[in-house]
Amino acid sequence: MIRVGVIGYGTMGQVHSQSYKELENAALTAVADQEPKRREQIEQELGVKAVSNADEIFQDESIDLVDICVPTYLHEEMIAKAVEAGKHIFVEKPLARSLDQGKKILALTKNYRKKVGVGHVVRFSPEYVAARESVQQGEIGRPAVVRTFRGGSQFPRGWQDWYADFELSGGVILDLVIHDIDYLRWVFGEVERVYAKSTHGRTTAHLEHAMIVLRFKNGVIAHVEGSWTNYPGQFYTTFEFSGDEGLISFDSRKTAPIVQITAKQSEDSKDVVIPENPFLVSPYTAEIADMVEAIKDDREPAVTVQDAFDTLRVALAAVESAQTGKVISL
Amino acid sequence: MVRIGFLSIAHMHAFSYGDAVNKLPNAQLVGIYDPDKERGTKGAETLKTRYYSDPVELLNKVDAVIICSENSRHREFTELAAQYGKHILCEKPIATTIEDGQAMIEACEKANVKLQIAFPCRFNTPIRRVKDMLDQGAIGNVLAIRGTNHGQMPGGWFVDRELSGGGAVMDHTVHIVDLIRWFLGKEVISVYAEADTMLYDVDIDDCGMLSMELEDGVFVTQDPSWSRPSTFPTWGDVTMEIIGTDGVISLDAFAQNFTLFSDKSNKVMHKVYTEDMDFGLIKDFVEMIEEDREPSITGFDGLQAMAVALAAYESARRKEPVKLD
Repeated sequence: MIRVGVIGYGTMGQVHSQSYKELENAALTAVADQEPKRREQIEQELGVKAVSNADEIFQDESIDLVDICVPTYLHEEMIAKAVEAGKHIFVEKPLARSLDQGKKILALTKNYRKKVGVGHVVRFSPEYVAARESVQQGEIGRPAVVRTFRGGSQFPRGWQDWYADFELSGGVILDLVIHDIDYLRWVFGEVERVYAKSTHGRTTAHLEHAMIVLRFKNGVIAHVEGSWTNYPGQFYTTFEFSGDEGLISFDSRKTAPIVQITAKQSEDSKDVVIPENPFLVSPYTAEIADMVEAIKDDREPAVTVQDAFDTLRVALAAVESAQTGKVISL
Repeated sequence: MVRIGFLSIAHMHAFSYGDAVNKLPNAQLVGIYDPDKERGTKGAETLKTRYYSDPVELLNKVDAVIICSENSRHREFTELAAQYGKHILCEKPIATTIEDGQAMIEACEKANVKLQIAFPCRFNTPIRRVKDMLDQGAIGNVLAIRGTNHGQMPGGWFVDRELSGGGAVMDHTVHIVDLIRWFLGKEVISVYAEADTMLYDVDIDDCGMLSMELEDGVFVTQDPSWSRPSTFPTWGDVTMEIIGTDGVISLDAFAQNFTLFSDKSNKVMHKVYTEDMDFGLIKDFVEMIEEDREPSITGFDGLQAMAVALAAYESARRKEPVKLD
């Protein structure tokens, strides 16, 4: 049984905590959050110990694995403490806010005898896994031009509104589009150069839309796009991979096998339309399960620090390109 | 009645344009000149008109011409028609070099004939509706646009650089750039592009990606790739995602279609029932001549769109953004 402590009970901390509850070979032991309201939530929703300080998790000798779900810019600090405490580590993506922080994390975890995994969950999403297999089986022939989209939902609100502070979050590229950058690296290999545009700094509207052109070392040209909107939109993803012998096309808005429509129950309420896309195992539970199994089996987790660092480099190059208007060669 | 002749039908759009002329009550298709006699004769048969082996003989019987030659021959046919005082509708791109494009515009000005460039997408009903929405400020200020104009590999002279002046990037960039200039009234000031040959065994670019900067900080990307496989249910697409300060408009210009699963052709096909934009283009051209007004799409519009495609090739060679004048 792997005993787990989660640090930070924001959006991702909640998702990860639920996933540990679903696993038979993991036991969620404690969750840390600075906000008293969140600690109440932890006890109610999870029935586990809620602590106010992450140090209580690091000092708890019964805990084998710490799962770091604090804002990006705090990852390095938390990883340093976890390494000092000798814990296995699972850290939410992106690995860090800056290349410098990323390098420090690489150094901290080099030759570390415990396991360190990074939560690039798209590698566990069934549609993305299946598309990768299709490409690798040669079903589209030689890949040429690929496109991805992720977003459409409202600008996220986090602890102290940290997403809105570009210096802390890196904006939509570093926080959201990095999912697809990581996935595309997983499918098509390393990136040669990056040219990116973002609305960040071009408008006062509370939104960010980014469009990135990647050229991979194997020749593949990619258009990678993400958005946070200033209206309550529906989150969706799309991808399209074209090759010399075929084309893969996916749009999450068209794949929900179930749509439930409920008539409004009173004058004040509204008709409700709920699309559902059920899987027995969610991608989040699958990535957490992989981490737990990696510890048990003494193997590397699906996404290593080095792998996440290489993805971070590309994402930060995109941020830099968007800010400077220059092509960044890697 | 506006009498119209074709100077070359090398470009397949000649057939839908010719159909449109035939349908219009105020236009008459007088004939087709084509340097390729077989192509010209067959085309004339299809369009129920006469083949002329001598362009001058045809020019003497018409008020206006439609030029559907290979791209690099647009200039010679334009200059010939202008010399005989005939109005011109020229297929896009206007030409394959800035010099040729400018020479065409000058020749038409000198001869006092009208030169219109054929950007039929401006007559697609959903696209016209989006233009209205943007004019009304429906999504506030436009910040960014993602465009695609995918297609299948057209083959023939389209993959012969001498005749086409470029592959996918030349073929498909100009449509989106023209629409964006029309929508926003802003020029492209810089372009970054990737362009390559990865999909077909051809000696010309068959795929690419453009990222453009407009005046006032708007950015636009455009995918011009011939990346639709031969099994794709339709010829390609024209799509845009327009991001504004107050919202988003998603445009799929040919979404008005149903799906045909055909055992007969062993294919799945999109049957498009969008109103015929080529008819709208020809109708506008004929009315422009009758009413003696300025063309809705000028030679300058054609030149600006082509300049972006040419800059894209330069960017792809230099691997850096290229500024436009």
